[in-house]
Amino acid sequence: MTTLEPVVARDGDEPVSEPADRRWWSRAEQVLGRFSEWLNPILVKETRQALKSRQFGITFALVLACGWVWSMLGVALIGPGIFYGAQGVWLFAGYYVVLSFPLLVIVPFGAFRSLAGEREDGTYEMLSVTTLKPRQIVSGKLGSAVLQMLVYFSGIAPCLAFTYMLEGIDMPTILFMLFYTFLGSLGLSLAGLLIATVTAEKHWQVVLSVFLIFGLGLAFWGSCALVFEMVGWNSLPFQDEEFWIGNAAFLTGYWGYFALLAAAASAQLTFASDNRSTALRMVMVAQQVLFAGWMGWAWLKYGEMEFLLVFLMMSGLHWYAMGVFMNSESGELSQRVRRQLPQSFLGRAFLTWFAPGPATGFMFAFANLISVALMTLIGVLIWLMFNPMPTPSWSGAMTLERLLTFGGLGLGYVTVYLGLGRLLLSGLRRFIQVPMLLGVLVQVLLLLAGCFIPLTIHLMIPDLRRGYSLLEITNPIWTLGYATFESIVPDELFILWCAVPLAGVVIFLANVPAVVTAVRHVRIAKPRRVAEEDLLIEAQRSPPTPEPVNPLD
Amino acid sequence: MISSHPMIELRGLYRFFGRTKAVNDVSFSVARGQVFGYIGPNGAGKTTSMRILATLDMPTQGDAFVDGFSVVNDPDRVRNRLGFMPDSFGTYANVNVREYLDFFARAYGLRGSERLRALRYVMGFTKLDTLADKPTNGLSKGMKQRLCLGRAMIHNPAVLVLDEPAAGLDPRARIQLREMIRRLAADGKAILISSHILTELAEMCDMVGIIEQGRLLAVGSVAEIQRGQQAHHVSQVLVRALGDAAPVAHWLNGRPDISQIEVDGQQVIFLHQGDLESEAELLREMVEAGLRVVAFGRQAKTLEEVFMQVTQGHVQ
Repeated sequence: MTTLEPVVARDGDEPVSEPADRRWWSRAEQVLGRFSEWLNPILVKETRQALKSRQFGITFALVLACGWVWSMLGVALIGPGIFYGAQGVWLFAGYYVVLSFPLLVIVPFGAFRSLAGEREDGTYEMLSVTTLKPRQIVSGKLGSAVLQMLVYFSGIAPCLAFTYMLEGIDMPTILFMLFYTFLGSLGLSLAGLLIATVTAEKHWQVVLSVFLIFGLGLAFWGSCALVFEMVGWNSLPFQDEEFWIGNAAFLTGYWGYFALLAAAASAQLTFASDNRSTALRMVMVAQQVLFAGWMGWAWLKYGEMEFLLVFLMMSGLHWYAMGVFMNSESGELSQRVRRQLPQSFLGRAFLTWFAPGPATGFMFAFANLISVALMTLIGVLIWLMFNPMPTPSWSGAMTLERLLTFGGLGLGYVTVYLGLGRLLLSGLRRFIQVPMLLGVLVQVLLLLAGCFIPLTIHLMIPDLRRGYSLLEITNPIWTLGYATFESIVPDELFILWCAVPLAGVVIFLANVPAVVTAVRHVRIAKPRRVAEEDLLIEAQRSPPTPEPVNPLD
Repeated sequence: MISSHPMIELRGLYRFFGRTKAVNDVSFSVARGQVFGYIGPNGAGKTTSMRILATLDMPTQGDAFVDGFSVVNDPDRVRNRLGFMPDSFGTYANVNVREYLDFFARAYGLRGSERLRALRYVMGFTKLDTLADKPTNGLSKGMKQRLCLGRAMIHNPAVLVLDEPAAGLDPRARIQLREMIRRLAADGKAILISSHILTELAEMCDMVGIIEQGRLLAVGSVAEIQRGQQAHHVSQVLVRALGDAAPVAHWLNGRPDISQIEVDGQQVIFLHQGDLESEAELLREMVEAGLRVVAFGRQAKTLEEVFMQVTQGHVQ
């Protein structure tokens, strides 16, 4: 990292000719200095801190020492077999443990502490009054985590090269595992940053840090178990097309949720009057589109109804979870947000739902669920245009009737629970302030009540204990499972088909007045002072070209 | 471009925490080059209103403006123009003074030579240049205060909000701080400053606002507030007599418009309730009563006295 040039010239300083190596170093520093101008300030500051930090030094030294000890121990254990057998794989497993601990535990926890510590120590406030955007704060902290990962990778790289030379593990497998460990570390670091934004209260930070450490420990243990399992195979199926398709699908999902978490962390750090929601909603739609693309491709390629079921199920869960968060947003639109509302008819028809607020959020989730249902129907119709209806290969396989039942009832349930949640929170907001976490909690409790109250009654009535009864109609999990995967009694199915969608329609209509109110919000003009400054900035960017004053000018 | 509006303006500002009214209908403004002293006991609402102004908190109602921009709706434009020095602040571990300021200069978007110029100026101004390589967590209180002031002014803001900048400083550091604030005001910066050390404030503030229990009780120059109090017809009068002042005190004692009589050698100090007309009448009566009065006049009040009078001594 660069060193700042001295800012004060000392009197009487004479230019002293430096030795050649020192001149080279000064030049390198200047180049790095110029390069650092374009880097995120937080990355520059945290790198400076890390390079002087005892914790980083000790951890890095420990990684090197553990790598060295394992090399000695491994070679001693293998003994003369090192010359004849392919022993690299077991050494690799040891090195992986040494590397993955800092990568999956220390770096993500460091990212969490880096932000949580700023909030505890009062330095975050100083940071937040600068002109840094929340997105820059998150990316700076994440960049610092990435840099630390790279340093750990570089520390263990010679050991990994050693395992490759010992044979037993090929380079693609090593790179594949390291790549996914890097992604894991990156994702966990982002999760750590998001968790650090949840609360500034010290006691809650302590509670969250305990959960985080537990989660990181699990991730470390899981990744080691997985790698031990994988190194037991001869080789990963790199020649298999489906292996790469599976990886591409996984990476699509990974980056989708990575973008969502990054947007959520930025939103948490955004000033209260600013728009915290639109970016998140855009990411949600992008995720939906990507997921629909993958599932559509799989359905058309393989023609198995299960893909459509997975599409409906995952989308339903996704939009329920997203809807819960959107319902918990504040209902008030600040003047700042209202300055950016869409104005035209088309803009208001299609983009109003991206504006913050629980009513637009409910409608946004509902509209996306409808689009999921429509996409499924279109997918089925396209298939039927060119192919016969796929025949179920086994008795419990998915049929079109079951799929429609799942889609119809699922849509009804999500609408009912999201709509009821929004109405409940709207009532609650008349008496108390409802922060995001409380809003989420209330809606989760509503769902749990819907599941467990009838279940408790059910268990108390001896005649009903044997199986599903319509008493469980408020329990979406059991009801959907029963209606989709088991032999449902036609009368019960009829009642479910009548009751659940009807309840969905009623709850939807009950939410319509709030949605209409949200649509009625119109864009407001910028304050005069803001407009003046915008004009000034615009004029400075593109000064007016002088017009000719006469034909000969 | 010189703006016509006040550089700082609080308009009907409210901030409630549950049932506690931390800030309750506070309005005042500060012009360019003016130093505004914000005075009040602990928990009066000074820090809350300053935090709102610094875009660290949202008002429950009302708004505050910096150079005409709302802190609620345009916090990014406000941050460009405002430097905030909180009453307590943390420093980063493993960062020296120069790196600390460099980081904040970068965070305010300063690049290249512009950043180096800003660093050079701020370190010179706050006399931190000799401490450039010292770790920030090893600085004394006074040095940290200077560092925080340097951080607040690194992007050359037009407005400075300083919350208790003199707290915990030794007399020499306080004098240095006062000098710095004067120079900043002379450079045209609008400064809002809160302090418990009222004598310090009296010397450097053009205007003061006295706040108690979230309410702004008085705003204006010290003299204006004093006049405002005198409009309530209570003033402190000093009478010097030729010889012993005891007969004067005896004569004054028992009059309904006189209270708190104190005798100190040849002079008597007392509170008189009434306007200038009645003061003239009192003097005439004293002379007619044969009292040998050689001096009669109102005593100028210190900021501390004004504060105590405005808050009626109910400091928490």
